[in-house]
Amino acid sequence: MNEFIGECRKEWQRLGVPDPVANEMAADLTADIDEAEAEGGSAEDVLGNSLFDPQHFAASWAEARGVTSTPSTPSTPSTAPRRSLSRRQIAAAALAALAVVLVMGALVLGIGHQSASVAMSVRKILGPGSVHWFGAGPATPPARVFVSGPSFAVGHGPGPAIVAVGLLLAGVVVLGLAVFYWAPWARRHSK
Amino acid sequence: MGQSDGRRSQLLRGVLDLCLLAVMAEGPAYGYEMTKRLRARGLSIVGEGSIYPLLGRLERDDLVETKRAASNGGPPRKYYSMSPEGKRALEEGVREWQAARDAIDGALDLVKVEVRP
Repeated sequence: MNEFIGECRKEWQRLGVPDPVANEMAADLTADIDEAEAEGGSAEDVLGNSLFDPQHFAASWAEARGVTSTPSTPSTPSTAPRRSLSRRQIAAAALAALAVVLVMGALVLGIGHQSASVAMSVRKILGPGSVHWFGAGPATPPARVFVSGPSFAVGHGPGPAIVAVGLLLAGVVVLGLAVFYWAPWARRHSK
Repeated sequence: MGQSDGRRSQLLRGVLDLCLLAVMAEGPAYGYEMTKRLRARGLSIVGEGSIYPLLGRLERDDLVETKRAASNGGPPRKYYSMSPEGKRALEEGVREWQAARDAIDGALDLVKVEVRP
């Protein structure tokens, strides 16, 4: 019988059932089985056919009580409807979405910065009036013009580029967090 | 499991929670004590699976109240008793069961069979 309780404990641990709750369930089960055996019965009088599937029994009980923190993977196919997304999955999805936004922001800033640089280079070479800005309003003149070598590269200075790189790095970090949150769930479901 | 056992199992599954609430109406009880009370009424539900997940669901749905107390010379046990919500759920469930039973009886009474105990 200790073996049955031990299997239940393993399953509760895997499902993230808090230790005090798992201890309480194990104690209740032990006391009931002891009583049945003291009366000349057996553990089957208490557990029925659940005695032969401790993993499923432990998962069913914990889920019914709502004390699991991770989704279970029952050993037998279930006809129950699929559970909604766990908080961990939702966090991973939100982080992934944030990562995409950050990377997109970095790309937009980077491309915008590069376009302004090219346009200012052309204006520098061909003279004023050679570059026409399209859009809602007049283009903002560069905060700082610099010249590097004979190519007359002109830009806005390091500001937007640094922001773009910062956003890109932040995006990568957030994406890493998303993978960190998603991976354990994905590993469990690929078994 | 024969066809008869399968049907019995399915019929019981829908009312096991009501049966547990009904035996709690006799007074607070711990898990195995409820099993024994049901058996004393001729209903052995353990064969359908343990009652613990069902008790867990009743607890989660606030249909029962629990307290830990010493049993007769044994370790402290978790005693279940019906909450006010549980009492309402039991009354409503019994009404539904009786209505369903009467309707089914109305259909099945047309069939004459020898009923074995």
